[in-house]
Amino acid sequence: MRFIPVISLLLGSWLALPAVAAEAQDWLQRLAEAGRSRSFQGVFVYERNGSFSTHSIWHRVDEAGVVRERLLQLDGPAQEVVRVDDRAECVSGSLADQIGDPQAWSAHGLSVQRLLESYDLRMIGNSRVAGRSAVVLALSPRDQHRYGVELHLDQESALLLKSLLLNDKGQLLERFQFTRLDLGALPTEQELQPGAGCQPVTASKAAKVAEAWRSEWLPPGFTLSRVAERRSPASNEQVASLVYFDGLARFSVFVEPLRGVMVEDARSQLGPTAAVSRRLATADGDVMVTVVGEIPLGTAERIALSIRGIEMQAVQ
Amino acid sequence: MSREALQESLSAVMDNEADEMELRRVLSASDDAELRATWSRYQIARAVMHKELLEPRLDIAAAVSAALADEALPVQNRAAAHGPWRTVGRFAVAASVTVAVLAGVRLYNQDEVASTQLAQQAAQPALSAPQAQGPAMLAGFSTAGEQQAAAETASEATPGWHDQRLPAYLRQHAQQAVMNANESALPYARAASLENR
Repeated sequence: MRFIPVISLLLGSWLALPAVAAEAQDWLQRLAEAGRSRSFQGVFVYERNGSFSTHSIWHRVDEAGVVRERLLQLDGPAQEVVRVDDRAECVSGSLADQIGDPQAWSAHGLSVQRLLESYDLRMIGNSRVAGRSAVVLALSPRDQHRYGVELHLDQESALLLKSLLLNDKGQLLERFQFTRLDLGALPTEQELQPGAGCQPVTASKAAKVAEAWRSEWLPPGFTLSRVAERRSPASNEQVASLVYFDGLARFSVFVEPLRGVMVEDARSQLGPTAAVSRRLATADGDVMVTVVGEIPLGTAERIALSIRGIEMQAVQ
Repeated sequence: MSREALQESLSAVMDNEADEMELRRVLSASDDAELRATWSRYQIARAVMHKELLEPRLDIAAAVSAALADEALPVQNRAAAHGPWRTVGRFAVAASVTVAVLAGVRLYNQDEVASTQLAQQAAQPALSAPQAQGPAMLAGFSTAGEQQAAAETASEATPGWHDQRLPAYLRQHAQQAVMNANESALPYARAASLENR
């Protein structure tokens, strides 16, 4: 007698599985569209190892569908970004120096189908965040080359209320969490006005950069989404950069010529972000390959080892 | 130091209300015969008040201060030799107290979670320290040296090569996503956290 409820429970959950999976995908789809259709304002916190900060957000979608958003850090330096639709209108000083051409970014919005190739999506329950009811989605990686994510979506609007980044041991690497969210209050023109420290972003004439480097190995699901070249932060060398994306996680590869300077390999981890530098010998002299991204250290290491020059064959 | 202040301190020690300075004051004066006599009188008075039987000749003060002196002396010597370590020691004490307090809070929270939020028991993992992490820090507190400590490199050949570049690489990586309005505010927060130094 005792096992009958168990069986019916198992059977029930098995029958319900496709429906649950569809519902989870539906929530993810609603999340992808939420920011384009809802105005809101609120306060959120961001926490990673060694850093905790609080931020305000004003997000307005007007009748014509134009999205205007202002983000402002509330503690410490007033980091600020104002975005209109797909481009940054102004950015505060220290954030600005690395942006370059704001138009050059191919839009990588949340693509549900793409995500599902690399992550297993499940609904794992309900929660309460910022005083609001939320549904909890888990995106578990299908391999060891990326981290898992737990998303708490607002029951009413599907906006992201909380996001946790977890490694393979279930340890928390990063937390993003709203402490207050107002859906009703439309941000005023004044609230969307950038502060004095926010510098206008002007589109620079970025020359088309030839692909000079590629990776012989990539974690499954990651594809090249951008190639760029920029002057080194410490010298006059040009540094090539490649950006890869799997629908959720992102990593960058930087290649900087060493010109005979002796530098050792290095690896470090800053909260969720791993950084691995490895020296690569080429016919043109040694270069330093640096992989930076929200991926496990071992994966970053393997990518760094797999970078090769396209024109000049690596000498090794 | 006035006799009166000393006796006040002694009283505070007895009532378990002494701060660190008062305790030190009493300990440093523990060889003082008059103070010991006062201590004994206090003990008797206290025993009478609490209706306890006490052997007045049992010099608790001497025993306690002897025990404490054994511990206190090496600390003082070290403090004299290496000034900064004295401060570190104090931080260590303060930190262990904080940890105990936090642990208490955490246990309390876990209890609450267990009873009211069974559905999401494991939904509140503590922020963990991944491999090769920088020094743990309190909220809102940062030091100039953190970047170097976090981005620890074994570079001996050309020291500082990575230090000069890695922060910019990290920043550049983080900011790519900030520019994209399709993203949530998370990449922006990630990028901003790199500037909080």
